Amino acid sequence: MSSIITPLRHVRGFDVVRPLSIWTLILMMMPLVLLPLASVFIFGTSKGLHSFWVALKAPEAIFALELSMVTSFWATAFNVLFGLFAAYVLSRYNFWGRNALIVTISLPTAIPTAVAGFALLLLWGPYGTLGRLLAPHGIQMMFTAGAIVLANIFVTFPLAFGVIKPVLDTMSRSLEEASATIGATRWQTFWHVTLPSLRGAIVSGALLTFARAVGEFGSTILVSGNLAGRTQTAPLYIFAKFNEGQIEAANAIAIVLALFSFLIFSVLFFARDWLDVE
Amino acid sequence: MKESLEKSVYPGFSAKWKAEHGQEVRFTSSFAGSETVTNQILQGVGADIAILSIERDVDRLKQGGFVTADWQALPHQGIVNKTPFVILVRKGNPKGIRDFPDLAKPGVQLIHPDPVSSGGAQWSVLAIYGSELVKSEKQTGEPDQAHALQTLRAVWRNVISTPGSAREARTQFETGFGDALVTYELEGLLMKQAGTALEIVIPRATIFSEHPAVVIDRSVSAAKRPVVDAFMQYLWSDEAQRGFVEYHFRSITDESLNSAHKEFGQIEMPFTIDYFGGWSKAYAEIIEGIFRDQVQRRK
Repeated sequence: MSSIITPLRHVRGFDVVRPLSIWTLILMMMPLVLLPLASVFIFGTSKGLHSFWVALKAPEAIFALELSMVTSFWATAFNVLFGLFAAYVLSRYNFWGRNALIVTISLPTAIPTAVAGFALLLLWGPYGTLGRLLAPHGIQMMFTAGAIVLANIFVTFPLAFGVIKPVLDTMSRSLEEASATIGATRWQTFWHVTLPSLRGAIVSGALLTFARAVGEFGSTILVSGNLAGRTQTAPLYIFAKFNEGQIEAANAIAIVLALFSFLIFSVLFFARDWLDVE
Repeated sequence: MKESLEKSVYPGFSAKWKAEHGQEVRFTSSFAGSETVTNQILQGVGADIAILSIERDVDRLKQGGFVTADWQALPHQGIVNKTPFVILVRKGNPKGIRDFPDLAKPGVQLIHPDPVSSGGAQWSVLAIYGSELVKSEKQTGEPDQAHALQTLRAVWRNVISTPGSAREARTQFETGFGDALVTYELEGLLMKQAGTALEIVIPRATIFSEHPAVVIDRSVSAAKRPVVDAFMQYLWSDEAQRGFVEYHFRSITDESLNSAHKEFGQIEMPFTIDYFGGWSKAYAEIIEGIFRDQVQRRK
């Protein structure tokens, strides 16, 4: 391959391919990602920062953002702990059915989020497999903030696991073995030796999970009940306001979510040395 | 609407026309939500007649120049049939719901489509709010708006889900969510017929959804005019009205048809959109002014 490219690369000492490829990349990204995002910002500020601010200060909008943050926080807390535990078990022990478990954990990435939503309804609903047993005790998970957390857990299930496990897989065992030789218990070894070297993977796994959960729509619209000011998350608020024809209100929250994910991914990118993520 | 027209009204009119004029009448019809049908006509689908579920859509056809005659000059101001808003509850009515204010009782869970996106949900808000006004007016001579607002607020606190459409609300109710659903009596009867275990509670005072039929004057050719006019008149005949009742609509012409029909409960104090002064007024004052600004908005 390189033998074909090399003669083309330099025209009278000027590297043609370099600026050409960079500009091709940017031009390709323009209509696909950059311009759509830019339109949100252009539209949002076209009527001045004041109307943006007013739209943002609506009590339902603030509530929706808070609800998204809180439910995503709990889903992230659970999935990071679970991902850590699952990664440890599946990386340190070899057993029959291990690969089947790994595949199952990764499955939610490939399942449409709407399917995730109605799968939860079918399980927890009053006629559902589990809901049927809980309903007589007055326990109704669906159409509550709890349902939003469950949906977030489902759709972000493999993310933290997926970041933590490869790090555990490639981690040198010699430190853990040394720790065991000098009489440390398994727990001490995990706490003082294994965990510190996973610090970066845990933080980036958590950020990825959180960013994905905050933006979740498909499963949430089915299980939350979508009540403004009670069970309406930020993405549902955007959808509701758009349907209502209040595009400014929808757009203000869209800007907040876009900035938010930009922030999260910037942290992931620029702090990667500290986080030891390759 | 599809069943009642295709199984009763169309064959009835065809037979009548054939007997009187010796010609076959063939109907081509399309069924969709009232708003969708209106949009299709506005975009040039050449329909001769439209039966709609909301007066606002007739107004849109008028504004577009598709309906030029005074459609309310027809019998019963152009309304062909009606169905009241009722409360659907689980079999045996375990929560003891008898009227709209019972929906506000602690522990009752209500499924209510979102009034922002669903026309059926707007009717339901008008039914609950109007019901309290009508009852208080009957009792004291004055409609008690503060009480009606308070009831609507209290009922809304028991709403556990606001799906985007009345159809989605029905699906949620059918899959076991909620203790109660406010919807058209027609819908409740169809759900019952489809095998859902439910009971229909008739509120003491409730609103009728009334359905206008209009001639799309712009599409009707001079040759077709007589048959179209004859069909319009036929809609208010006893035969057609009986056909509507058989398929769960209430007759607009003859209350005795309704009271003779076993599946319809008696409504003590029925009212219509006219009670609020028509749709556009009801929408601005009740849906926006009361519901959106004073019930839904968080303080």
